[in-house]
Amino acid sequence: MQRREVIKGIALSLGSFVALPAWASSWNTATLGKQYFSSVNTESLLAELVETIIPTTDSLGAKSLNVHLFVQKMITDCYDKNAQANFDTNISAIDPLSVKTFGKIFMDCNPTQRLSILNTLALSTDQDTVKFYKTLRGLTIQGYTSSEYFLTRYSDYEMAPARYLGCVPVKKY
Amino acid sequence: MDSLKKRTYDVIVIGSGISGGWAAKEFSEKKLKTLVLERGKEVKHIIDYPTTLKEPWEFEHRGEIPREVQEANPIASRCYIFREGAAHFVVKDNEHPYIQEKPFDWIRGYQTGGKSLLWARQTQRWSQFDFDGPQRDNFAVEWPINYNDIAPWYSYVEKFAGITGNKDGLPQLPDGEFLPPHEMSCVEKYFSAQMAKTYKDRPVIIGRAAHITKPEPIHLQQGRGQCLNRNICQRGCPYGGYFSSNASTLPWAAKTGNMTLRPNSVVHSIIYDEKKQRATGVRVFDSETKEIIEFYARVIFVNAAALNTNLILLNSTSNRFPNGLGNDNDLMGKYVAFHNYRATVNAEYDGDLDTTTEGKRPNSCYIPRFRNVYKQETDFLRGYAAGFGAERYHTSADGNAVGEDLKNQLINSKNKWTNWKVGSHMMGETIPKETNFVALDKDQKDPFGMPLLRISVGYDDNDEKMVKDYLEQMTEMFTAAGFKNIRTHDNSKRAPGNDIHEMGGVRMGKDSKTSLLNEWNQLHACKNVFVTDGACMTSTSTQNPSLTYMALTARACDYAVKELKKGNI
Repeated sequence: MQRREVIKGIALSLGSFVALPAWASSWNTATLGKQYFSSVNTESLLAELVETIIPTTDSLGAKSLNVHLFVQKMITDCYDKNAQANFDTNISAIDPLSVKTFGKIFMDCNPTQRLSILNTLALSTDQDTVKFYKTLRGLTIQGYTSSEYFLTRYSDYEMAPARYLGCVPVKKY
Repeated sequence: MDSLKKRTYDVIVIGSGISGGWAAKEFSEKKLKTLVLERGKEVKHIIDYPTTLKEPWEFEHRGEIPREVQEANPIASRCYIFREGAAHFVVKDNEHPYIQEKPFDWIRGYQTGGKSLLWARQTQRWSQFDFDGPQRDNFAVEWPINYNDIAPWYSYVEKFAGITGNKDGLPQLPDGEFLPPHEMSCVEKYFSAQMAKTYKDRPVIIGRAAHITKPEPIHLQQGRGQCLNRNICQRGCPYGGYFSSNASTLPWAAKTGNMTLRPNSVVHSIIYDEKKQRATGVRVFDSETKEIIEFYARVIFVNAAALNTNLILLNSTSNRFPNGLGNDNDLMGKYVAFHNYRATVNAEYDGDLDTTTEGKRPNSCYIPRFRNVYKQETDFLRGYAAGFGAERYHTSADGNAVGEDLKNQLINSKNKWTNWKVGSHMMGETIPKETNFVALDKDQKDPFGMPLLRISVGYDDNDEKMVKDYLEQMTEMFTAAGFKNIRTHDNSKRAPGNDIHEMGGVRMGKDSKTSLLNEWNQLHACKNVFVTDGACMTSTSTQNPSLTYMALTARACDYAVKELKKGNI
């Protein structure tokens, strides 16, 4: 706990845009173990994808919370070979799509262009592409909303509430 | 001689789970030297709960079990406990293989405390209507005990274990010694009131559960404190807020100085002395040293969990008992039954939208059996109890949102609620039959040198009719309450065993020709061996069974101590 408090303190003193280390979880490249993705670019591309899905605003976005590492870990450890292959195929198709649409790779696109690429995936007539998009978006939401950052700041999560009230007025936060 | 003396006790208890823990406590309190044999690893209270303080974000896969582990463990993976928080307490498929003649999920917990660490903690008493079942409806055999025989023992174990509940005054579900009840949610109360208006016989009450809502001195003396409503009980509770052998009976027994707990001790068989005409001890396979060691005692309690108790007794052969200890009538292993948890009904309610719940509740509401209680009235025998709950959740973001829009929705989700989600699941009584049985395989052995258990247990026509009736009745009840979007579901692929309420095989009864155990849980044919876990059950009724095992155990221990004093056993 102490380590966490210290890191939290540093984070606050530097302002909320600092890219936090892996305190938000046990995900970091050291604990990731075996990696499914072959391309070294996948990680940085995935980081921008999750950041596009949940961007940094006046609060941290998905990339600073290392949600891309979570997505990668889940795909690697928990999804079957078909889903992994579909994920790989579709993530590899993003830069070609981006180049075709905007004349540059996804990393070089501005936020509006990046969102537009994601919308293209969402509305694709190819069911495998839609499946990829839904998996990516779902895992990003799961990773973000189950992070310490989100749960301790933006939810009413309590580890040990020590109470159950059956009928209370809905609270306004 | 020294070694022999060291291996000799007054009592041997096989198993440290919910019933074995009680035997350990009762005997060691009475100053009897008690050896408790646990086949699994040692799990010390608090010290060996590695995940108990983990926050959700500290789990590598947020709770999900990696694909490779799931694929290697299809049986364990079907158990709701098998998640990152408690998977280390569930037996992996290859650890202890068995043969499924019909699909059967045998869910096991091999460690100190057994499945008492993992259980769902619902604790309802049986009533006389339940004990009357087999005789009235002409199945299995008559129970050798009545409600009045066990009622004081229910009280005895409830006070020590700590049971929360409300005194509802129902003849079909007798009240117990309760700590303050949990609250019902607004819509649970509403449903309860609606059902009281609509039906004479369908009360909806708060569940009775083994949680300390307000500690009494007896709980503090055990080193246990108030439940903090964390709802992650299966990881082990550092406060001892719920009852487990680890938090309660075993440390209590240890404190007397009369109990020896021996983990890694897989019992092979019970030793029968032909001359003395009694059991004299047990053979143990030490899973660490691979040695076979014998231990001796005057009394042996078999609390290995229902099917493992069958396995041990069937494997305890001698000239006198070639088919298993006490198995003169060849009924051992037969008449196994379980609870049918296949069906669920879900719905929504749009009223009471200005209210919600706060905190967490390790409990739910309960609808006692209302079918065939006073007389036979349907085309199936017996009936079902039902769980019930109503709560609201924060809305997740809408399916198309992405970018800042999605983020705003997530960050503000604390202020956005669904309507009330209501749900129910059935807990059906199944009828014990000779054709639902376990037996030893003649050739194949497990890694511990024990014969593989063949399990042949399935649903029958009575179960199918009961599922249909539950779905119809619950739909009618939800409709009467004005619930919307009612969805019924029969998970017919859910195999028996997944309920983790398997019972029978060494049933109690009045007659030694038709049962294995007498009214004191003694083997008719070998009086110094007692069986007080799920194997002893003559019928299953609908209640979660653990409380009844605890009460039967304490009662049988009391009797055994008296018989020992009289020199009868």
